[in-house]
Amino acid sequence: MRLIIQRLTQQRVNSLGTPLALSVGLLLAGCAGDKSILDPAGQAARDVVMIWWVMLGFGTVVLVLVTAFWLYTFKRKEVIRTPAEERTIARRWIIGGGIVLPVASITALLAFGVPTGQRLLPLPLAEPPEVIEVIGHQWWWEVRYPGAEGGEVVTSNQLIMPAGEPIDFHVTGADVIHAFWVPRLGGKIDMIPGRVNKIRLEADEPAVFGAQCAEFCGAQHAQMQLYVEAVERDEYDAWLAARQTEALSSLAANDQQHETAREAFMTHCASCHRVAGLSSGEEGPDLSDLGSRTSLGAGIMAMEEGAVTHWLKHHQRLKPGNKMPPHDDIETATLESLGAWLETLTP
Amino acid sequence: MTTINREATPEGDNIKGPNQLHNDLHDIWGNPRGLKALTIVNHTTLGLRFMVTGMVFFLIGGLLAMLVRTQLALPDQDFMSPDIYSQVTTMHGTVMMFLFAIPMLEGLAIYMIPKMIGARDLVCPRLTSLGYWCYLFGGIILSFSLVLEMAPDSGWFMYTPLSSSEYSPGLGSDFWLLGITFVEISALSAGVELVVSILRTRTQGMALHKMPLFAWYILAMALMIVVGFPPLILGSILLELERAVGMPFFEVAGGGDPILWQHLFWLFGHPEVYIIFLPAAGIVSTLIPVFAGRPIVGYGWVVFAITVTGFISFGLWVHHMFTVGIPQLAQAFFSAASMLVAVPTAIQVFVWLATLWLGKPKMKLPMLWIVGFLIIFVCGGLTGVMLALVPFNWQVHDTHFVVAHMHYVLVGGMFFPLIAGLYYWLPLFSGRMPSETLGKWGFWLTFSGFNGTFLIMHWTGLLGMPRRVYSYETGMGWDIFNLLSSMSSFIMSAGIAMVLLDFALHFRFGKPAKHNPWNADTLEWANSMPPSAYNFVSLPKIETRHPLWDDPDLPRTMAEGQHSLAVATHGRREMWGTDPLTGKVREIIHLPGNSWWPLFAAMALAVVCVSLLTRLYPLAGIAVVVAGLFLLRWSWENGAHPKAAPDAEVAPGDPPLHSRTMDGPGLWAMSITLLANGSFFLSYLFGWFYLWTVSPEWRMPETSPLSLVGLILAGVALTAGVVILEKLVRGLRQGKDAGLAVGMYSISALGFVQVAVTLWVLLSADLAVTETSHDAIIMVGLAYALLHGGLGAVLTLLQGLRVGYGYVGAHAPFEPAVVAQWWRYNLVTFWILVGALAVLPRVIGS
Repeated sequence: MRLIIQRLTQQRVNSLGTPLALSVGLLLAGCAGDKSILDPAGQAARDVVMIWWVMLGFGTVVLVLVTAFWLYTFKRKEVIRTPAEERTIARRWIIGGGIVLPVASITALLAFGVPTGQRLLPLPLAEPPEVIEVIGHQWWWEVRYPGAEGGEVVTSNQLIMPAGEPIDFHVTGADVIHAFWVPRLGGKIDMIPGRVNKIRLEADEPAVFGAQCAEFCGAQHAQMQLYVEAVERDEYDAWLAARQTEALSSLAANDQQHETAREAFMTHCASCHRVAGLSSGEEGPDLSDLGSRTSLGAGIMAMEEGAVTHWLKHHQRLKPGNKMPPHDDIETATLESLGAWLETLTP
Repeated sequence: MTTINREATPEGDNIKGPNQLHNDLHDIWGNPRGLKALTIVNHTTLGLRFMVTGMVFFLIGGLLAMLVRTQLALPDQDFMSPDIYSQVTTMHGTVMMFLFAIPMLEGLAIYMIPKMIGARDLVCPRLTSLGYWCYLFGGIILSFSLVLEMAPDSGWFMYTPLSSSEYSPGLGSDFWLLGITFVEISALSAGVELVVSILRTRTQGMALHKMPLFAWYILAMALMIVVGFPPLILGSILLELERAVGMPFFEVAGGGDPILWQHLFWLFGHPEVYIIFLPAAGIVSTLIPVFAGRPIVGYGWVVFAITVTGFISFGLWVHHMFTVGIPQLAQAFFSAASMLVAVPTAIQVFVWLATLWLGKPKMKLPMLWIVGFLIIFVCGGLTGVMLALVPFNWQVHDTHFVVAHMHYVLVGGMFFPLIAGLYYWLPLFSGRMPSETLGKWGFWLTFSGFNGTFLIMHWTGLLGMPRRVYSYETGMGWDIFNLLSSMSSFIMSAGIAMVLLDFALHFRFGKPAKHNPWNADTLEWANSMPPSAYNFVSLPKIETRHPLWDDPDLPRTMAEGQHSLAVATHGRREMWGTDPLTGKVREIIHLPGNSWWPLFAAMALAVVCVSLLTRLYPLAGIAVVVAGLFLLRWSWENGAHPKAAPDAEVAPGDPPLHSRTMDGPGLWAMSITLLANGSFFLSYLFGWFYLWTVSPEWRMPETSPLSLVGLILAGVALTAGVVILEKLVRGLRQGKDAGLAVGMYSISALGFVQVAVTLWVLLSADLAVTETSHDAIIMVGLAYALLHGGLGAVLTLLQGLRVGYGYVGAHAPFEPAVVAQWWRYNLVTFWILVGALAVLPRVIGS
């Protein structure tokens, strides 16, 4: 049943969307970005887009009609009327346009909108959904998986979720207020220090989505981005298992090549960063599986060979004002060895 | 109360020629030149000063907007650093809202209202002046932060903890909090006196239902300022206390809650939107009938719509906070309420449409801007209804879609009508007509540039671009739309420049305007063009809503002095004090003349502001005392004081001077001020109960630290004071003033007892104000009580002195009635405070 509705709404979106978008002279090509609300990848986002197109169509009709009537009054020939006739005409306009039109529109809109809003609420389900905790920091994301088998998994600046099932995101802020937003999956929710907010999102299929801090959180608000990767359930479970503290610790322990880098890490980095089995710093992002992530610096550069070293050398130029101190006091060779080692942290 | 028919006076020998009358009035009302121009209190001059200053800040805000659009024109630009970009966006919003939109519209209202309602000035002229200086100084202080590169950078709504001392350690937030609070004194001053002026100084016969619609709109705006600004003032004081002293009102660890700031901010912030929109809609409702050549249809509908908008707008603030995690039921309520505000707005739109439909509209230059307004504003209203839908809001909140919506509402709803209004009233300001050609170019460039910028921006938002990002990377599909927005914004700037050029040039090159060039119906066009300082030689009796249509000869007969109060030989600035409902004459209001005190008081307040900024607290303390002394000195020159109205003689048949009655406008001014104060107090109570019930880490001691016995003792002293004061006022009402001075002194003594005991309660409570929000907020409540008790005691002490000087007594019974209002207010709020802070925690427990 649900599938049928899904398909129907998709069709409606398409048939409504194209002519309307063209009519405002804009090309739908713009929808390709991985943060576009207009390119939904989950039911909640899809409902909102459908509401948007309906509202846009209706709003356009109202705007065009009101404007046309206004302009027409300047062109119209004068008609002589008695005061009684004038009163009747005026009352028709005012009651029809001023009361009936908005009240009817609002009723329709609420009838449409309230059930949709319901879907985003983390109402109790027969089978409680997986919980993922996201904590906003200036300017990076801490992500926790409390339900992982074998114990909580902690990581940062990457979010992996199972596709095809609802996920409850429990979010909060560590310093200032941030907001968690995956546009293609659905609405946003504020991450507020001292509170935990909840939102339920679901990705239809495995894919990668852009996410973004949506509440202004300081100078680097723009560079507080995140890639959300939806994967199949078994892939998700395997991914979590590989990030259990024991699995990660062995990653560091079995590596004999990078002794110097690890020493440098313990001197310069360990008080702020956690690498499972080595350090437990909490000021900055967890780095235990850094090499396996899609991006660096909360989404500002792709993870490629040499990327970590580049970031370590130039991070204050790439992301001015970020809370990691500049590394002028550390020798280039040390930074390079650190970068090379961190890239190997791929469970 | 007798009805006075003044149409026949002045009679016989007393008739003077119009020129002689003009000279007499000019001697009393005219503006001084040179340095003394700083003492001017006249509403025409100050209204123009407000508007010109507002335009200067508009240019600053516009320049900041152009910097923003330059940065966003292309992806990955580093034209400005992230830090500077945050300052620029924060200041763009702040300057446009607080230093342009509100003061500009206040300026227009200050200029227009007395002229439209047939008065000679606003009812508290020195307050107009204080308001202007506070606005100017506050604006300069705030803008100066930009020059220092220390401007506020937490966004124009200053969400904490981002704006707290931990995450914004510089002076930026302090500039904002102190500067804005300073500017708000100006808004509140204007709010209070506009309300009283509209209600009490309309010319004879102008019953409430004959008042021009513009005055209705301004009445609503002014009342909304009075009720809407205090929550933000409270919020700013609390946040500044947290930053400067460390009182944790908003800090979770100390038992505070950052969301309290959001509530206080939007409790102000949403009404603010309508504070800006209503006067602009008032311009539309004024212009449309004139250019349609017929009265507006549905005057009553419009008044109804204004009233409903005013009330609903205070119930919408949560729609700015839908993503905060507010309970679902509350969201549904605020969502529906937010949509409902579309009803009164739609009523106005269709009233305007029906008026045009039934009239013969002419597309003159001001009407062009009105049509532009309509298209943009309806579009902004429609996206507003969309945003009120919670699931849609969750998606587009804090994206460029919201930025676009907000500019459609504010630029469409305020700027376009404002320009229409300025074009319409330019001939009145200058006696000259603007250029149609330049004006049309200006309109089309502005209109197309605006839509190019912001219509596209909706789309950018839907593509996922969040607001307040200093840069974006390519490949998101945002590039072309941002470039188009930026290019269009420069076209819009060119259009606005052309309009301003037209305004500037017309003063020199404009064709001389004929009298009442648009054939308007309202009294402001009965002024000379440009107007004189006293507006009207004589004040007419009004029979209809359209005085100039129904009696085209009225401007001439008014200028010839054929109506009332055309006498100036007594040396007083006089106008009618009329009944708020019927417009029947009740007394003659005599207004104070030019004065240095408003400027001096504002300068002292500026010193307070700057010394708080620079953390020179002793200096701030001294400056507060000095400002208080200046204000009290100013209040000394009232009533029967030699500089006000030493003798009370009036022409035979005229009503008495207001200071010789128990009915003057000061009573109203005090009531409206207390309304503002009450709004502040309610916001405080809201804060107390909010923190108590909602704050995540609220800590409350087992027993209240406040001594109940002490508070009751203080309350008894206060109550006794009020009882005696009421008795004295009753006596004055019956013409008895025996024992008045002694009575006042003893009331004052009781007031000081209340203050002393309350202070003892506060000190003995041993509050740890920097450790828990509980202690901090109690401290604020008691400080409020102390301030009010202290001021009440000082005011009654001064009353005692004034009785001795002969300024107050059975012959001039007015002032004790005003002071009594303060005491009554103090009584009510003090006992509520005792109940809320000391009794309730004992009853309910923590």
